[in-house]
Amino acid sequence: MSTVFATYNVKGGVGKTSAAVNLARLAAEDGARTLLWDLDPQGASTYLFRVKPKVKGGGKALVKGKSDVDALLKGTDHEGLDLLPADFSYRHMDLALDGTKQPTARLKAVLAPLQDDYDCTFLDCPPSVSLVSESVFEAADVLLVPIIPATLSSRTFEQIEKLLVQEEGPRVMAFFSMVDRRKHLHRDVMAQLRDEQPGALLDTAIPMAADVERMGSNRRPIADFAPRSPAARAYRELWKEIQARLR
Amino acid sequence: MSAYLLPDGLDLDRALASHLDFRAGPARSAALTFYDTFDGRLHAAGLTLRHGDGRLSVVDRATGAETAGVPLAAAPERLFGRDLPPALSARLAPLIEMRALTPLATVVTRSRNLAVINEDDKTVVRLSEEAPRGLRTRVLSLPVRGYDKDLQRVHKVLTVSLGLTRIVEPLADEAIAATGALPAGTSSKLDLALTRGQSAGAAAEAVLARTQAIAAANLPGTLDDVDSEFLHDLRVAVRRARSLLRELKTVFPERELQRLRDDLKWVQAITGEMRDLDVQLLDFEAYADRDRLAALHEVLEAHRTRALATMRRDLRSRRATRALQSWADLRAIAGTPPVEAIAAERIAKVYRQMLRMGRAIDEDTQPEALHELRKKGKELRYLLEFFGGLFDADVVKPMIRALKALQDVLGRHQDFEVQADTLRNLTAEVDDREALLAMGVLIDRLAHEQHRARTEFASQFAVFAQRRAAVKATFG
Repeated sequence: MSTVFATYNVKGGVGKTSAAVNLARLAAEDGARTLLWDLDPQGASTYLFRVKPKVKGGGKALVKGKSDVDALLKGTDHEGLDLLPADFSYRHMDLALDGTKQPTARLKAVLAPLQDDYDCTFLDCPPSVSLVSESVFEAADVLLVPIIPATLSSRTFEQIEKLLVQEEGPRVMAFFSMVDRRKHLHRDVMAQLRDEQPGALLDTAIPMAADVERMGSNRRPIADFAPRSPAARAYRELWKEIQARLR
Repeated sequence: MSAYLLPDGLDLDRALASHLDFRAGPARSAALTFYDTFDGRLHAAGLTLRHGDGRLSVVDRATGAETAGVPLAAAPERLFGRDLPPALSARLAPLIEMRALTPLATVVTRSRNLAVINEDDKTVVRLSEEAPRGLRTRVLSLPVRGYDKDLQRVHKVLTVSLGLTRIVEPLADEAIAATGALPAGTSSKLDLALTRGQSAGAAAEAVLARTQAIAAANLPGTLDDVDSEFLHDLRVAVRRARSLLRELKTVFPERELQRLRDDLKWVQAITGEMRDLDVQLLDFEAYADRDRLAALHEVLEAHRTRALATMRRDLRSRRATRALQSWADLRAIAGTPPVEAIAAERIAKVYRQMLRMGRAIDEDTQPEALHELRKKGKELRYLLEFFGGLFDADVVKPMIRALKALQDVLGRHQDFEVQADTLRNLTAEVDDREALLAMGVLIDRLAHEQHRARTEFASQFAVFAQRRAAVKATFG
């Protein structure tokens, strides 16, 4: 049985892709057979793994169960880590899902035949509140929510709580992302949120770092080009903490 | 995965450079150790167990792909099914059963990974150059999912442009063969190829030679106490040889024959207690109440330790060495009749004896009579193993089937009795209330099972007796 992690936030630019890519790489390095599904039509994860953002038949055939998922997978440069690439057609995935009988069960159904092939599955989700995100909530076991410690970030919790109305939704594990410890505001918000949401926030925070941005030009996860950088170390800590919480 | 042989003196990087873009990784050395059971059960199942680089892995022989693996710092010296990590035992334990996995070869290998890349600098095929010390250097190509066309291109470069030949033989086989051992393991099967018209003396010599070779092959593992099957196979070889000497006694010179028969009888006797204890310990693994019976297990282990020491001393004695030697040296007298003549006569006779013995058994017969019938059945079984191939398979095969079914019933009847007896005898030594209670329950169950085997006897014997006409027509 594969554990399905989804990196999700209503907002964009909070470090979802960075988390998905780096955590998936760490999972594979630990020996877990790992799959990353890049659901974001922008294809940032796909780009980082140097795979062409193209899925035969597009998102529509995929969610309708008409594609052979196995044939769409691409091996990455990391042994044990495969990618289900993004496709530009994913921008219409809401429409594609809407045209199916049980729209919110579709992503789970796409992953079902791969259950035994992978120990960990990561879903890199587009920022939105939509049928896609509802499908993600149904498919995921763990929702990984990066939060930038800014004034409105406590609202993120309210939003997610509202979205996860169903009883057996995924476990929510939020963590601070793009943290600048020199900023008073960041430090204050972090302290305040930890008070308000004890238990829901992971201890590890991902720092704001030039190395995270350099992933784009290097087209590799951080650990590949700056393994000892603070950001690489933070992701390693984060992965350890997530696994410890799951045990 | 495909493997190619890299000829000595060919620089892989330079040869590839004009055909492919690639990135070469650093070279590393690792000691690879390959495991199998003595009889090559993993090999037969298409698998290799390998330790190297801090990892114990099960590798598919055909594809070279790892199907399961766990981190393990040091290469183990011996592994039983129960020692295997859960990730490996599901696949391996049912294959190896009670046999031990032991290291068959270790080879220090210098290896280097090369990533074949596309225009995006993305790895599309993985290559690995493996130079095992003292063996041939190989280039392995490993596919990256979703890049099949690139794999085909690399294959073409390696075979056509570089002229490399593909090699199917896994490195494990080459490494094991280099030590002088057989990659497929050592079989304890008879595998005789006797022919009609061959003299009975020559046929008997062939059986003796094969059984002697099996015994000799299993002696070191018996002395080293690697697993229970070495001794078992050694004893089966002795029993077969004794059976042959009894059934074909007319083809051997009397004095030498008697001496070898005495020696082999002695070998069987000095190994008997040890085998009984092995059987009890193997049975123990199947008991549901193992935890409560821990005290019994301790007593059995203590007995076994003593029995092993005694058996080792005896098997290393001059008499044991002489037995093995005269077993190899015994020659038949000249001018013996064709083997099928003597064999047919013996098979017919033993079959008739069994019919007589079996018919005399009814509900009131003592268990000893069933035990005697079983011993006779073994005699017939061995005769058919040696010489069955010389006769009509349409007669021999159903005969063996019926005999096997009958022997199974008799065997269970006997084994349950021996087991119950042993447990009764051990109660005096077990100093634990819980264990004693559990042993009582077990003895009851064994008595019940024995009774059940006894009730099955009549019907199995009837099937065996039905072969009478066919046996008479074929063997006389």
